Amino acid sequence: MQNRPTGFGNPWLQLGLSIACVLVSEFLLKRGATEVADTGSAWSWTGLNGLASPLVWWAILLIIASFVSWLYVLRYIPITAAFPLSRVVDILVPLGCWIFLGELISPLRWCGIALVVIGLALVAKPIAQFEERL
Amino acid sequence: MSFLAFFLIVVSLLSFVAAQLILKRAMEATTTTGFRNAQFLSKIIGGVFLMTISFFLTLGLLQRFDLSYLYPFQGLSVIFITLTAAVVLKEKLNMRLTIGALLISAGIVLVSMS
Repeated sequence: MQNRPTGFGNPWLQLGLSIACVLVSEFLLKRGATEVADTGSAWSWTGLNGLASPLVWWAILLIIASFVSWLYVLRYIPITAAFPLSRVVDILVPLGCWIFLGELISPLRWCGIALVVIGLALVAKPIAQFEERL
Repeated sequence: MSFLAFFLIVVSLLSFVAAQLILKRAMEATTTTGFRNAQFLSKIIGGVFLMTISFFLTLGLLQRFDLSYLYPFQGLSVIFITLTAAVVLKEKLNMRLTIGALLISAGIVLVSMS
């Protein structure tokens, strides 16, 4: 982790950006796919008709951006830390659905979210201490 | 579930994990050797190729099984990547990281089951 850039090049910022891009793209895909849904068409099962929605194209751009950020993250952060942290998106999506789309979260799902949060805290803390020592 | 379906789930998971490790190796090397060399390019292409295989296998599986059934296997990728990175990439793994990865995986499984 030597010679690590700061500012916009900070790999932790890029990890956050990568996660944010994935999160927003999931919601854009859901919106876009619903917008142009035509389950009667024979082509619809390929998902290709989703390309008719501009939201889907924005989502694709964000996915590419998140991949580039992710490659950058891999350059500096050990994958044993970066990958588990990137899975925060698996709880941000259901939380986003709950806050913005009014979808319900079952008690079992809340338990799962709690486990992920504890796991994330465990993974993040030693790294934060490591960073402080640098 | 048939043996074939289980086999495809495992192949999809392993190709995803292998892709991440190869991409990690490729990007790490750029800090010393830069981007303009055949080794970097071949690793990036290999990584993207493996991710593509994993993507299409998942698409095929999604046509036959529910997402809630398949998603827990994706959750396992956290454990697999953490362990293989320790073994293959010689990254340091302590108790905290291991337990953290286990809890995150278990949490993802619970979130997708409910």
